[in-house]
Amino acid sequence: MGALTDKYCIVGVGETQFMKASHRTPLSMACEAVKKAMDDAGLTPREVDAITSFQIADSTDVTNVAQALGIRMNYGSVAFSGGSTTEALVAHSIGLIEGGYCNTVAIFRSMNGRTGRRMGGQAPGGVVPPSRAEGDAQFYMPWGFTTPAQHFAPSAMRYLRDFGASTRSFGEVAAAFRYHASLNPKALMRAPITIEDHQRSRWVAKPFRLLDCCLETDVASAFIVTSRERAFDLRQPPVFIMGGSARTYADNPAWNHSRPRTYIQAGNFARQRAWGMAGIRPDDIDVLSIYDAFTYTVILQLEAYGFCGIGEAAEFVKDGRLRIDHQLPTNLSGGHLSEGYAHGVALVNEVVRQLRHRADDACPGWAEGRHTYDRAAGCRQVRDARFGASLGWGTETRGSSLILRSISA
Amino acid sequence: MPGPIDYSKINIIPDQDTTEWWEGTKRHKLLVRQCKNCGHKWFPPFPACAKCTSMDLTWFETSGKGVLHSYVVVTQPILAAFVSAVPYVVGLVELDDCHEPDGSLTRVAGVMMDDEDAVAIGLPCQVVFEPTADPNFVMPRWKISGTAQNTWKFKE
Ligand SMILES: [Zn+2]
Repeated sequence: MGALTDKYCIVGVGETQFMKASHRTPLSMACEAVKKAMDDAGLTPREVDAITSFQIADSTDVTNVAQALGIRMNYGSVAFSGGSTTEALVAHSIGLIEGGYCNTVAIFRSMNGRTGRRMGGQAPGGVVPPSRAEGDAQFYMPWGFTTPAQHFAPSAMRYLRDFGASTRSFGEVAAAFRYHASLNPKALMRAPITIEDHQRSRWVAKPFRLLDCCLETDVASAFIVTSRERAFDLRQPPVFIMGGSARTYADNPAWNHSRPRTYIQAGNFARQRAWGMAGIRPDDIDVLSIYDAFTYTVILQLEAYGFCGIGEAAEFVKDGRLRIDHQLPTNLSGGHLSEGYAHGVALVNEVVRQLRHRADDACPGWAEGRHTYDRAAGCRQVRDARFGASLGWGTETRGSSLILRSISA
Repeated sequence: MPGPIDYSKINIIPDQDTTEWWEGTKRHKLLVRQCKNCGHKWFPPFPACAKCTSMDLTWFETSGKGVLHSYVVVTQPILAAFVSAVPYVVGLVELDDCHEPDGSLTRVAGVMMDDEDAVAIGLPCQVVFEPTADPNFVMPRWKISGTAQNTWKFKE
């Protein structure tokens, strides 16, 4: 176990609606998400003394959020990095609180990811105007090789070849998460889909189809980290932080094409540290979030963090294994593929809600932890969820993890 | 063959680490960085050797030949420059003359001259230098240059 295992907790979660067009500023959305996370925890702005966020493309600074909400910060900072920063900011927060630099940290991500600046540089209307190819981009933009879908596709192509896998395995992931979204009133896309629907959806960048890609979304989401001593005085059952890994990198991280096997994801370098710190194993996990920028990124992370062997995930995800009431309930909110793309923060929020036994579903008593487990009636709470994890993806070469437990574990 | 690429809609900004590489393409040379101390080769041209940390570097002129390691077929244009080019294939080509005894290798991406139907993992490739409207930039692209056994093509 790690020296700080179970000493820090996630005590509040909140988000705006998941929207296709917010007609709001990222500042306004960030304020709403942080305010809701404070309200959820039963914290006042005077009791939160740190805010941290991360950004590439659309964002807002922590300074403005603090001023708007009346928070006086002992620490405030924005990291310049993308997917998988969420879990890393938890590690930053623990270090800052443990060191005495601050007491209670709000972590948020706010973005008009659809109507503002889109990931990969697309303009809101579609095709982008003339663009500057500088730095790294000198060696991908002139080759029409810019978006995450385009960047991850060669690794996926090679994976399909080397392991004789089919994109039907990607469809299994998409259909499972959409089923979960059908149980999540917050989700953007709630109509169930089949593997055939996935196979029929249009190509974006082969081998990826439209239903392999996450939803570009306007949203802010936030959660709050504090010490266990403070956590016990707050409104919700605390969720304990057992361990994790913070933006772990593979070799040759900036330009991953010359790694011998491009589908060996960063988690392969992180998992021993993460599970060792937490003192549990993948088998112990009851609820899982995986950064689903694409269906394929789920496949790679299942392998990287040891839920199955390298090359085995395409088989592992079959027969609904990632669905609620099956072996490894994953992305119970619907994830980035179906709830909406919140750059990883909302994936943590879902695990926290599940471990509190308070998934915000159709059950009338969810806020008090009373669930029916009747899926047909819209219950998405996993029974007896004790251990959870959120796996963050940046690219094949960078990733993070966060391992959590419920108060009853 | 994919449609034309309008390179005028991409403003390439070479820097002190990359200017000589772009100069090389104008002379139809596909360069990679090489360490003068240990001989290691790499691309893109980062300014230090990842094997020995030397910053005493030179350029190695590759044969421009390699094997297609993987690819993506882009069907939806994102950049204005590629609106008329779709569908096009971006290939990752593993250079024949950059394999090192410890297993390290160098791959260079680029737009294939070939259509998807002609492309398969494992096929040999040859660099082709395509002029652009701007005389300061010549663009390296890849072209399938032969046949091979045990190739693999995405057929879905
Ligand atoms: Zn060297």
